Amino acid sequence: MLRTTLAGLRLHVSRYVTTILAIMLGVMFVAGTLVFADTLEASYEKSVMGSATSVDAIAVPDPVEDEDGFPGDPVPFDQSVLDDIRALPEVAEADGLIRGQAVLLDAEGRAFGFTPPTAVAFGETTRFSASEGELPAADDEIALATSTADQTGFEIGDTVTVLDTEQDKRDFTLTGLVDFGVDTGYAFGGAVVFAQDDIQQMTGAEGYSELNALATDGTSDEDAAAAIATVTGTDVQTGAQFGEEMAESAGGDTEMLRVALLLFGVIAMFVAGIVIYNTFAILIAQRQRELALLRCVGAKRGQVFRSVLTESFVVGFFASALGVLAGVGVGAAGARFGGPLMGNEATASLVVTPTAVIVGLLIGTLMTVFSALIPATRATRVAPLAALRTSATASGLEKGTGWVRAVFGVLAFAVSAALVALSQMGPTDTTGLFIVTGAAMTAFVGVVVLGPLLVRGIVRVIGIPLRRTGVPGMLAVDNSTRSPRRAATAMIALTVGATLITGYSVISDSFETTLTEQLEREFPVDYQVSAQYNPEDQANTDGSEDDDAAEGAQGGDGLEEGSPNEDGAVEGPATEDETTDSASVDGLPVDESTGDPLVPSEIEQTLSDSPQVGKVMSERFTMVDEDPDDFSTMALPVSAYYGAEMGVDIRGEAIEGDLSDLEPGKVLLTENSAEGQGVGDTLTIPAPGGDLDLEIAAIVETNATFWGAVVDPEDFTAAFPEIQEARYLHLRSADGADPADVRDAVYSAVEEYPTVQVMSVAEMKNQFSEMMDIAFYTIAAMLGLAIIIAVFGISNTMALSVLERTRESALLRALGLAKRQLRRMLSVEAVLLCMIGAGIGITLGVLFGWAAAAAVLPGLVFSVPVVQIAVFIAVAILAGLLAAVLPARRAAGTSITGALASE
Amino acid sequence: MSTPAAQSPSPVQAPPVVVARGLTKTYDTGGSQVHALAGVDVDFHRGAFTAIMGPSGSGKSTLMHCLAGLDVATSGTVHLGRTQITGMRDGDLTLLRRDRIGFIFQSFNLLPMLTAEQNILLPSQIARRKVDQERFDHIIDVVGLRDRLGHLPAKLSGGQQQRVAVARALLNAPEVVYADEPTGNLDSRSGAEVLAFLRDSAKDLHQTIVMVTHDPVAASYADRVVFLRDGRLVDEVVDPTAEVVSEHLLKLEA
Repeated sequence: MLRTTLAGLRLHVSRYVTTILAIMLGVMFVAGTLVFADTLEASYEKSVMGSATSVDAIAVPDPVEDEDGFPGDPVPFDQSVLDDIRALPEVAEADGLIRGQAVLLDAEGRAFGFTPPTAVAFGETTRFSASEGELPAADDEIALATSTADQTGFEIGDTVTVLDTEQDKRDFTLTGLVDFGVDTGYAFGGAVVFAQDDIQQMTGAEGYSELNALATDGTSDEDAAAAIATVTGTDVQTGAQFGEEMAESAGGDTEMLRVALLLFGVIAMFVAGIVIYNTFAILIAQRQRELALLRCVGAKRGQVFRSVLTESFVVGFFASALGVLAGVGVGAAGARFGGPLMGNEATASLVVTPTAVIVGLLIGTLMTVFSALIPATRATRVAPLAALRTSATASGLEKGTGWVRAVFGVLAFAVSAALVALSQMGPTDTTGLFIVTGAAMTAFVGVVVLGPLLVRGIVRVIGIPLRRTGVPGMLAVDNSTRSPRRAATAMIALTVGATLITGYSVISDSFETTLTEQLEREFPVDYQVSAQYNPEDQANTDGSEDDDAAEGAQGGDGLEEGSPNEDGAVEGPATEDETTDSASVDGLPVDESTGDPLVPSEIEQTLSDSPQVGKVMSERFTMVDEDPDDFSTMALPVSAYYGAEMGVDIRGEAIEGDLSDLEPGKVLLTENSAEGQGVGDTLTIPAPGGDLDLEIAAIVETNATFWGAVVDPEDFTAAFPEIQEARYLHLRSADGADPADVRDAVYSAVEEYPTVQVMSVAEMKNQFSEMMDIAFYTIAAMLGLAIIIAVFGISNTMALSVLERTRESALLRALGLAKRQLRRMLSVEAVLLCMIGAGIGITLGVLFGWAAAAAVLPGLVFSVPVVQIAVFIAVAILAGLLAAVLPARRAAGTSITGALASE
Repeated sequence: MSTPAAQSPSPVQAPPVVVARGLTKTYDTGGSQVHALAGVDVDFHRGAFTAIMGPSGSGKSTLMHCLAGLDVATSGTVHLGRTQITGMRDGDLTLLRRDRIGFIFQSFNLLPMLTAEQNILLPSQIARRKVDQERFDHIIDVVGLRDRLGHLPAKLSGGQQQRVAVARALLNAPEVVYADEPTGNLDSRSGAEVLAFLRDSAKDLHQTIVMVTHDPVAASYADRVVFLRDGRLVDEVVDPTAEVVSEHLLKLEA
């Protein structure tokens, strides 16, 4: 029996080509993902381990806890600790790493980053080394983190300007680049590296944030670490332990990537499964007589069943093996070209784990065998007598769709609709998202069940104009409904990808529109000016932020985070709650209550005087805390907009009351700060200039604009007389002003203050939509694989149908249908299939994309990305044409007499 | 060779529609050459119903395919009217078949997804030709398909299916109709009906018909029977009866 199976396979191998390709692509993606992630992980581990194990012991200060048990910033080691460690008999050499912050100016002379980058100086003994060039040795030399150099465009040999503690510009020569990898302390906001003698002067940092030591000969790393621990009083790790911990935390990233990619792999395999199922179903139908003959000569049902499964196993295994091979190649290419994009050079050689190979083989083979189960069962039902009947397939038009099927399908749609309605009624959170997902799956089941009916119905409608186009169009319409079940299955494979891509594009587009519209509606400004946000108290900077690399699980995204314009407006005032003794940071005035720098009033003045600027709205801000020691009360953010008319210049969604009711003696409160109070109630704000008793004028939605309490400028000035500068300046262009002139005016106003940040709302919108676009194209590319597999499926279905209709084609040719017309007939049929698949997918995608977006985002502005959908339809048509190329060539190339003669 | 010139029914004497001269067809089957046609000279006259007979493998189907432009002859010429069809390109042959030739095959004559009427009209639609409604009605009534026009082929009996094929072949009044074992799959009654239609249409509509068959009874409906053996024309009978044809056949096979 096995021999018969294999002989049959050899004979029909051409029928399996596209199926093999479909399985191969799916397996390739899965195996490729595994190889890629493994390689990435290994090379990261290698680089981390390589750097960490270059020293024997690493000590970092423990984070301190304040009296309330809240974690505070760790206090760096002072010089005496280092001296004591150096004196230890177990330690051969030891040195410390000093860390602070320094304002780096980009090529245009503006401060780099939303926050100043980390500044570090390594000692003689350090786990870091330059990946390019040299570490700085003299006081006019500097090194940059590789990611920072990429973002600023500086290259080795360039002159780099950094502000020192006095805010004076100092020029350095860039001597080297340091790859900090995904080390969160450095990757986040960028990093500059000074020579050790220089950093004190540049940042004011004192003490060591990290100590690196080498053990003496004969002393184990563990002993050296233990000895150092007695001096520092903290846990001290060996280089290897430190490296392992860091690699582990970074492994989380790779793991996320792996899971995300595998998700697409699963989708691809699912689509491949549909394709496999259809192929086997068609092949079994076509081989009825062959199978019947087997039964005639004595094969049992079980043998027929096993024969089909064996066939699927061989096909699946062969295709999977090819897929694994291709996957290794793809994974290698991914690690080679994709790794650097994620800030991780693939230094390790390709890692092909047995798991990757086994998972690839298993998933492909099992999927194939599983997909062939139903066709195999059907094969056992072939009666031996069928062998004696003439041509069973040619006359066999499929029977209609039963009413049970119709009822079941309609029921699925009804349940789905109910779920969507349910998801829109609840609060906007992730629960709604899960309900929508469930609804989408239910609807998909409905499409599967009703597929044949849908195909027939849609073809009937589209067919009316198509029939008029001539005989090829007419025949194509008729052919596409000949086996609606077959057509439906081929089409559904495409529907999966189409639904996902359209759904995602609708969500992405709606989000983008909603956010930009919200911004425009509530904050119709052109520029926003703010001070560079500084998370640390510059006066006693000790470079103590987030020392423990293992603490932060995120990283590797340093590319995005550093750009100045991204977070500015969306995030609102910062939440830091530190106290400061200094009255000035970076030469800027400082908010006493928060320690955050403010925009100098000089800038405000210059801008107000500028003819290019139509309106300057100055947002002053402070935090009031009734009892700073009582952590049960939250500090209340209080802000006031000078020069702005509430409800006109600054708008928001009022839940209760009206924004324009704000006047002296009244206050606007955001929903989350209201604590059950309503319009008309009184809110008391403790303030240095005397407590304010204010009547609540309106409760507004918490969002990008509003946060906490908004009071009238008059009240703000009276209550906080010491606050004279703005946290933010919101600027609107003068009517008719040339955008370029406005830009020049704004930038020249801040020229003296390099750390003051200017954000163009237009630029921000651009950047935002760019980000969304990149995400969209990435995901679309991933889902593209599922589409390609589906197109293979359609092509395969066409090819098998053509094979089945060889005699028909010959008859048509004999009756005078030109080859060209025959090809067109098949193209139209394939395009029709693709269009129906894409059409249903687009419908589902738009519907569920809307439902999902509306379920998570309040006040969603629904937007359908018409261009993307149009492109998608064009792709579907093109895919259909491509899918028909080979089958059509084959049909047109067959000899008429040969086909007519063959029975 | 019996060419009784004395009996001279008019159809045979009319001008020839299809003329083949020196027709050969050689197949290469893995080294050895098979001569399916080894030099055939034959004429088919307007309004004549001719049967081509011969034992299995005599080349009768190949002859028909070459005459109809479905297959390419190795050498020799075929003329349809004044047009030489040997040497024509595929595109032109397609047009020729579409506009000037009708076909009836043994089985699988009809497209399963089209109704009887759609099948009959198919060649006209391919050619975007206007249908002569009068002729259509006449033919439909003659073959008795009036109440079956809306049926799919699967709902028709074998005889009805062949009658649809006959109607389709006759509708455009092609210069010649080729029928390849048109009754091979039919019971004798249905077969007799179809053959009667063919004979009548040759007589009444002056339709030239060439039929390949191995059934002497079927051949007896024709005006003339030509016999083929080993790729050569070896015999001919005019106004045949089943008995005469059988005799000739037996002689050939002996």
